[in-house]
Amino acid sequence: MTAGTAEAEQAVASAPSMKRRMFRLIIRKKLAVLALAYLLVFYFCGVFAPLIAPYDPNEQRRTVEDVRQPPSAEHLLGTDTLGRDMLSRVFYAARTTILFTVAVTITGGLFLGVGLGLVAGYRGGWVDTLIMRVGEVLSGLPTLFLLLAITAAFRTRIDDASYWLREHTWLGDDAKTLMQFTIIVGATVPFAWIGSSRIVRSLALSIREADYVVAAELYGASTWRVITRHILPGILPLFMVGLSGSMASIAGAEVTLSFLGLGITPPTPSFGNMIADGAGVRTFQATPHLLLSGALPVVLFFFAWNLLGDALVDLLDPRMHQR
Amino acid sequence: MGPGLFGYAVRRLLWAVPVLFAISVIVFWILRLAPGDPVDTILGRHYDEERAAVLRDKYGYDEPVYVQYVKYMRNLFHGDLGVSTRHQDFTVSEVIWPKIKVSTQLGAMALFITFALGIPVGVYAALARGTFLDPLTISFWLALDAVPVFVAIPILQYLFAVRLGWVRLGWEGVWSPNIIMPLLIMSLPGVAGVARFMRASVVSVMHEDYVRTARAKGLKERTVVVTHITRNALLPMITVIGLSLPGMTAGALFTEQYFGIPGIARESLAAVTAPDYDVILALVLFGSTLFVLANVLIDISYAIIDPRVRVGARRG
Repeated sequence: MTAGTAEAEQAVASAPSMKRRMFRLIIRKKLAVLALAYLLVFYFCGVFAPLIAPYDPNEQRRTVEDVRQPPSAEHLLGTDTLGRDMLSRVFYAARTTILFTVAVTITGGLFLGVGLGLVAGYRGGWVDTLIMRVGEVLSGLPTLFLLLAITAAFRTRIDDASYWLREHTWLGDDAKTLMQFTIIVGATVPFAWIGSSRIVRSLALSIREADYVVAAELYGASTWRVITRHILPGILPLFMVGLSGSMASIAGAEVTLSFLGLGITPPTPSFGNMIADGAGVRTFQATPHLLLSGALPVVLFFFAWNLLGDALVDLLDPRMHQR
Repeated sequence: MGPGLFGYAVRRLLWAVPVLFAISVIVFWILRLAPGDPVDTILGRHYDEERAAVLRDKYGYDEPVYVQYVKYMRNLFHGDLGVSTRHQDFTVSEVIWPKIKVSTQLGAMALFITFALGIPVGVYAALARGTFLDPLTISFWLALDAVPVFVAIPILQYLFAVRLGWVRLGWEGVWSPNIIMPLLIMSLPGVAGVARFMRASVVSVMHEDYVRTARAKGLKERTVVVTHITRNALLPMITVIGLSLPGMTAGALFTEQYFGIPGIARESLAAVTAPDYDVILALVLFGSTLFVLANVLIDISYAIIDPRVRVGARRG
C-alpha cells in the first residue's frame, strides 16, 4: 500500500520533530491518564457512597442558617435549598449515574448491540438490511421528544403502577425510584444499541472473510461456535473503545431526563435533579454553588469519558502504529 | 447521473414509506392509549352535546384505535391536523407552522456555525498531527461538548447579560443581536464531533497519491491543503449533517425554553406537559418525517459522490 511508504516518508521528513512527537504523546497520555484517574475517583465515590458520605443525603435541616450555605469546612460543597449536604448528595448521584450506565450498557450495548451487530454482520442478507435500517431510523429520530411524548402519555399509569408496587411488595418507598429507573432505562435502551452494533457489524463483516474463520467453517464448526470462538474475541476490544466513546451520551440521557423531571425525581439524588434545583439566572446569581456543586462533577465525568474515548480511538488506529 | 443512481434513489425513497408508516402507527397508538377523553378537554366549559358529537365523528375519538388512525390520516391528507387543547379555538396547523419557521431558521444558522467552525478545526488538528496542538485543540472542543446545555445557559446568561450587560435576554425576532448567545449555545457543543470526523477524513486523504503529486508539482502548500486535501476530505462530511440533527433538536429544546424563543421545541415541551395530544402527535410525526427524509437525501447525495455506495446497495 502507498500509505505505508507515505508514512515512512513523513517519518523521515519529520525526524527533527521527534521531540515534539514525544511531547504530544505525553500530553495525550497525560490527558487520558488524568481522565482515567478522575473516573476512578468518581466510580469509587459512587460505589462506596454509604461509607464515605459525611452526612445522610436526605437529612433536611430547614433553618435559615442551614439552607443554601456556600461551601465551608463543614459542608465541602455547601448545602441545598432544603439544607441537605451537597457532597453527600453528589456521592449518591454518582451512584445513580453508575447504576444507570451499567444497566444500559449491559442490556443495550452488550446484549442488543453486540448480539444484533454479530447477527447482521455474520448472516448478512435481509437480516442485515432489516437490523441496520431499524437502527438508522431509531438513530435519526428526535429521541428526546419521543421520550417526552412517551412519558407524558403514560404518566398516570406509571404513578398507578408505582403506588401498587409500594402497597403490594416489599419495595416500600423504593418502588417509585425503581419504577422511574426502569422507565428511563427502558426508554434509553432502544436508542443505545445502534452505535455499538454498527462497529460490531463492520468488524464481523471483515473477520468473517478471514482465513481462520473460513478454515473453521470448512472444518464444520457450528455458527454458534464460529461466532463465540472466532469472531467475538476479535470484536471485543473495538467494542470497548466504541463504548467508552458513547458513555457520556448514555449517562447524559439520565441527567437530561432527570433535569426535566421525567427521570429520577427527588428525594433520590441524581445530577439531573440537583442541577434543576440550581438552574435559572437569578438562582445562579444568588447562590452559584447550587448549580456548580451538582454540575461540575458530572461535567467532568462526561469530559473524562470523551477524552478517554478519543485517546483509545487513536491508540487503535492502525495508522498510528506505523509511526 | 451515473448508472444505477436513479434506481438507488428510488429504492431509498421507497424505504422511507414503510418506515414512516411504522413510526406513525407506533406514535399514534402510544398517544391514543393515554387516558382521558380529548373532546372533554377541547370543549372545556363550552361543552355541548352537539359539538361534541361533531368532533367525535370527525376524529373518531370513541372508536377503536385503528379507525381513529384511518380517520386521522384522512384528515391529515386534507391538511387538517386536529385541534389544539392548550390553545383553545386554534387548530394544530395554526399553532405549529409559525413556530416551525422560527425553529428552522435558528437550526439552520446553528448548523452552519457548527460546520463553519468544525471543518477548519478538524483540518487544523489533522495538519497538526504529531504535535501537541492536535490533542489540545480537540480536547478543548470536547470540553465544550461535555457541558450540558442546561448547565451552560444559566451561567452564560448571568455572565453576559447580568454581569457584563453585553446582551439582553428577551426575544426580539430572529434578526436581532439577542439571538447570538442562543445560537452559540446551540452550535458550539457540536463542533467537537464535526472536527473529529473532519480530522479523520483529512488524515485518510492527506497521504493519497494525488496530494503527493500536487506537492511534487510545486504547488503552494496553501493550495494543496485547500483544493487537494480539504475538498476531498469534505465529501464524507455530508453524512455528519444527518448525525448532528438529533443533538441539535435536544439543544434547541432548552435554548428555546430559557431564552423565551417562540419555537417548536418549546411548544412541544408545553404540549407534553399540558398535555395537548394532537399537537404532540403532529410534532412527532413532522419531526420523524423530517429526519427520515433528511437521512434519505443524505444517502442519495452520498451515492452521487461515491459510486461504490450504489454498487454495495445493489448487492445487499
